[in-house]
Amino acid sequence: MSIKSEIILEGIDLVKHFGGGGVLSSPTVVRAVDGVSLQVKRGETFAIVGESGCGKSTLGRLLLRLIEATKGDVLYEGQSIRALGSREMRRLRRDLQIIFQDPFASLNPRMNVGDIIGEPIALHGLARGGARRERVSELLQTVGIAPTHADRYPHEFSGGQRQRIGIARALAGEPKLIIGDEPVSALDVSIQAQIINLLEDLKERFGLTLVIVAHDLAVIRHMSDRVAVMYLGEIVELSETDALFDNPLHPYTQALLTAIPVPSPINRKAKPLLQGDVPSPTAPPPGCRFHTRCPHAKALCREEHPKLESAPDGRKVACHFWREIQNAGAGALAAPAPSEALAKRLALYRTWRDRQDKTGASSQ
Amino acid sequence: MTNESALRPSGANVTVAPAASQPLLRVENLSVRFDGAPPGINVVDDVSFTLAKGKTLCIVGESGCGKSVTALALMGLLPTPPARIVQGAAYVGDQNLFSLSERERADFRGNRTAMIFQEPMTSLNPAFTIGDQIAEGILRHKNVSKAQAWERALEMLRRVRIPAPEKRLRAYPHELSGGMRQRVMIAMALANEPQILIADEPTTALDVTIQAQILSLVRRLQEESGMSMILITHDLGVVAEVADEVAVMYAGRIVESGSVDAIFEDPQHPYTIGLMGSVPSLGRRQGRLATIRGSVPPAELMPKGCRFSPRCPFAESRCASEPPPLTEITPAHSARCWYAPLEQHRGAAA
Repeated sequence: MSIKSEIILEGIDLVKHFGGGGVLSSPTVVRAVDGVSLQVKRGETFAIVGESGCGKSTLGRLLLRLIEATKGDVLYEGQSIRALGSREMRRLRRDLQIIFQDPFASLNPRMNVGDIIGEPIALHGLARGGARRERVSELLQTVGIAPTHADRYPHEFSGGQRQRIGIARALAGEPKLIIGDEPVSALDVSIQAQIINLLEDLKERFGLTLVIVAHDLAVIRHMSDRVAVMYLGEIVELSETDALFDNPLHPYTQALLTAIPVPSPINRKAKPLLQGDVPSPTAPPPGCRFHTRCPHAKALCREEHPKLESAPDGRKVACHFWREIQNAGAGALAAPAPSEALAKRLALYRTWRDRQDKTGASSQ
Repeated sequence: MTNESALRPSGANVTVAPAASQPLLRVENLSVRFDGAPPGINVVDDVSFTLAKGKTLCIVGESGCGKSVTALALMGLLPTPPARIVQGAAYVGDQNLFSLSERERADFRGNRTAMIFQEPMTSLNPAFTIGDQIAEGILRHKNVSKAQAWERALEMLRRVRIPAPEKRLRAYPHELSGGMRQRVMIAMALANEPQILIADEPTTALDVTIQAQILSLVRRLQEESGMSMILITHDLGVVAEVADEVAVMYAGRIVESGSVDAIFEDPQHPYTIGLMGSVPSLGRRQGRLATIRGSVPPAELMPKGCRFSPRCPFAESRCASEPPPLTEITPAHSARCWYAPLEQHRGAAA
């Protein structure tokens, strides 16, 4: 047995530009991802966060080579996947899977659930006939759907159940790493919690590595070990999750955390807000891309592009002045502890909820 | 100038100090039914609430709970058929909105009540300029010239803090960002100084930094004008930031209502508690999320009693057959549950 390295997936200086050439493409270049490097460790949950248009979904697709990078490389288990031919790539797809945001758009409406989940099993030649059907039942059970529903079609299921089906399909090839592209953002809060718990259970049970692309910072704090914050195609901060939320270094991370509405009416107060909109990725500002909205911007920020540099505790931040402003983020996120009554009531709820799971027939 | 008025922003148009005891809007036993739904299953069922002057009521709930249908019913915008108001009244003063003629309704709408929607792109007409669209609403309700209406439109764009308002007046919706479009929607809604603004998921389509801008803008405009607001949302964080009063809806019914403090610090209905347990904490991780089992049953499987009972960990057999009454916990806080207050009935491990 070979010794496996700690890094399972690595992006090296990834660049993806859309448009800007060819007769059929638009003349304006959208710099969706512009020089991103990151390393995903085996067994961790790595989150990529940012607002719309920051390039987080494009980055997720680049890491799986679902789209081809303009520049840069992706290493899986230390091996470049950009050089692979289509046959080798297909073999690799067993290991690397994706779950999409919209459970209504990502399942083929003309296929029944058994075929949707059975397809990757057949494609990879993992099982056939009765064995395949058995495997489909097992997968459905794993994600909390009654195996008797295998002959139903996607429209017969709710959003949460469809997301479970998408997860079962992703699991069919026994992957090592799953990228979730906003896997819970289209779901209602109560269903979202079910899917988050399911993903965490599956991760533990099958020893998966998860990469979560999301905009919801509460979901990210709850699920992930490390976070990369993106702004206009670049990583501006990369850190362990608790360190990032407790003490954000980059002014954009600080602003992002300040903007989250906190689900507690205690200490309600006016907050310092980020002004303006995100500039267009077709014409990112010169120098630091965040300088047009940054409350700390100085002349240097308009001229020189900051590199992603190392900060203590293995953190990385792309800001000329992060040392000077590192305390500006303290208390950006003031999440008061739940009141005594709420804590008591949540504990009571959990007790009865556990009992419900033990006695109830269906555990969905 | 008294101290109180000194606190108000200049140009404020405050006529009456907010009196919590005098509701501006009183909704009584509103039920809305969709044609073809199983008998007795209303999409909005026996909903009552009041809205005080200058205050914000948040209606919170998940998809299909009836929160948007409630708003459309109040605005007189229900698509009929299939939706019909089968019962109830909504009083503004002593005028019942539901007994007004279509013409009177139209005079009311956009003038004394206004609404903003989730997706500003689909609520704006792509073929007309921003100025045209704001001025249209002013010309419909006020006896002013076209030039005066445009002047007012410009003033509104300034009030919602749109940069370069003169230029934006002649812009088309597609030329604006999502956050700017929502500001335009707010400008349109407030142009006639409505007493009541209904905002249906106004920030759901926006990024979190833009959401914070819009919420802060709405709060400031509300302080300036003294209007009341009904804000409909699924986001407990937004509720905690803007609400004075909260109504939690589940499957067409209000299951819990009270002040924002009561709801967040002392929730009593099992659905409210389950919902709060489902939201990941912004603080350090507290272990697995508490969840609510299953999903909302389809209309034909909806129980006669408590509609949450099939998912409720505390439910007993009578919950499914007998609809629970609204139990008062404290004078301003009630929950529709047989076991409220919860600890008294369900505290000891039974």
